[in-house]
Amino acid sequence: MSGELLVQSVVLGLLTGGVYALTASGLTLIFGIMRVVNVAHAAMIVMSAYLSWWLFQTLGLDPILSIAVVVPVFFALGALVHRVILRRLSGRDLTLTVLVTFGFAIILEGLQGTLFSSNFQAIKTSYSLNSFELFGIYVPLVRLLSGAVALGLLGGLYLVLGRTDLGRAIRATTQDPRTATLVGVNIERVTMLAFALGVSMAAAGGPLLGMLFAFYPSTHWLWIGKLLAIVVLGGLGSLRGTFVAAIVLGLAEQVMNVTISPDWAPLVFYGFLFGVLIVRPQGLFGTLARESL
Amino acid sequence: MTPMQSRRVAPLIALAVFALLPLVLREGFYLDLLLFTFMYAAMSVGWDIMGGYAGYVSLGHVGFFGLGSYVAGLLVVHFGIPVFLSAPFVGLLAAVVGAGLGWVSLRARGTSFVIVTLTFTYVVQLLALNLRGLTGGSSGLYLPLLNLPADLVILPFYYSMLGLLVVAILVSIAIRRSKFGLGLIAIREEEGKADGSGVNTSLYKILAFAISVSFAGAAGALHAQYLNYVDPDLAFELIITLNLIIMSLVGSRGTVWGPVLGAFILQPLSQYLIYITPSQIAGQVHLIALGVILVLVVMFMPDGIITTYGTWRRGRAKSRPADPERARLPGEAV
Repeated sequence: MSGELLVQSVVLGLLTGGVYALTASGLTLIFGIMRVVNVAHAAMIVMSAYLSWWLFQTLGLDPILSIAVVVPVFFALGALVHRVILRRLSGRDLTLTVLVTFGFAIILEGLQGTLFSSNFQAIKTSYSLNSFELFGIYVPLVRLLSGAVALGLLGGLYLVLGRTDLGRAIRATTQDPRTATLVGVNIERVTMLAFALGVSMAAAGGPLLGMLFAFYPSTHWLWIGKLLAIVVLGGLGSLRGTFVAAIVLGLAEQVMNVTISPDWAPLVFYGFLFGVLIVRPQGLFGTLARESL
Repeated sequence: MTPMQSRRVAPLIALAVFALLPLVLREGFYLDLLLFTFMYAAMSVGWDIMGGYAGYVSLGHVGFFGLGSYVAGLLVVHFGIPVFLSAPFVGLLAAVVGAGLGWVSLRARGTSFVIVTLTFTYVVQLLALNLRGLTGGSSGLYLPLLNLPADLVILPFYYSMLGLLVVAILVSIAIRRSKFGLGLIAIREEEGKADGSGVNTSLYKILAFAISVSFAGAAGALHAQYLNYVDPDLAFELIITLNLIIMSLVGSRGTVWGPVLGAFILQPLSQYLIYITPSQIAGQVHLIALGVILVLVVMFMPDGIITTYGTWRRGRAKSRPADPERARLPGEAV
């Protein structure tokens, strides 16, 4: 591989990794606070991608601007779903909640197939094919845009978690729910908001991933595999770990794409996933005890 | 006849009826429906050994179903070994792979098992898709047709699926009555205490998972030959895993007969639903319906029909002693 091609794939990998980091952060946030893998996370991403595609087709709304529409919608839906369904399952066997999210994934997939047909879709804007050259490397404009937007939103998430009362309450509940209650955190409400926030992260990633990759209703099974590999490598529940893992895997995938074949690229994710679970089950930055895995 | 006796005899009568049924019922439609019901029931009984007894929910049984389909298909195509011969060994192979996967994910508790089982399906699917020289890639693998008249060709499949179901039920009963089964239920109730009281929890879980997936592997083998075809989409449809879970939950998790009951309720209902919906959206509507059923069952009847009915009946006749053969569900009073 030539030096320029290597630099190019590193740049592309970093940018895609940024989008992965955004979507995987939602997954890890939800796991941190509920101790449950949201199996429907990628189905929510695809649903948001479809909504963005539909807004673009019917109203001509730019996919990046559509983030401002889909995020509030998904935040509200997330809060509602938590209030009506997930909250009732809290305190019961956690596997029941996992099964419910599995059900959500299936329902969303069926809805997408009914509403938008099962064909391939991709969000193709007027600038989708533009790219620019910088020091001899070519970067497609959508890659740069989606990477930059993802990093910006991720920065916003860190600010919310780090600087606001809600963020402090979420982090406290993640670390130790009982003590959080003692200091006056309303756990039910905080969990609901954290779940809605996590779902919003998925929604924000939808239009971005929809500009980068083609999607169809069952794509989410492929994407959830990638996201799970990222959050496991990062150490379930660790936002910092998730970010690093997303960048690492985004890079590894890109290098695999150009060196061996895009066909085998998903294997990078699964290889890391199984490797981490065998060698270091707590992941790179495992904050939660191994027990909770 | 006492209730105890009738419970022993009823399954045998049902078995005799199903064994003799093809002699009088020659319509392919009903035999096909029953065949798939047997298949799902067998796999669901298997799923429940892990998901019900040990309380570990697998989202990856279809991975073993697909693995079984491909291995059996390749054995027919390259070595001419008929699936009816290879199916038990394919089941065994699935168990070995399952033990390996269990070793990766079951040393710890909980979440990693969900993640690994879900992801395993995509790994096998990716292999089936990309090892084109071996599997035919996305165009799939064609199995030679059985050399039988058209109206008889369904029978070997009907009887092998029935046989698979009988074996699954017998294995489930044997586990339920053994120390091994008690250990699994102890793991479900309180894994730390099970560990402390001398149950080798890792070994028990790995073993239970291996047994659990073997039925999916064997069913996949038979299914591949039944369709004379296998491809990466067909062999790894997640709806298969979903079916197993719902059947087990609806009937009652952690019971021998729950998954069987669930399969006999849901499979005909599913077929009917597909039959009455316009074909271009039937698949999607079916998905939505199953997803909604899963959510509703988890929310409103997580104990399933058998356990809920049992609790209700015991509530009415408190003097009657509790049934020692029924596994207790989490949260239920002793």
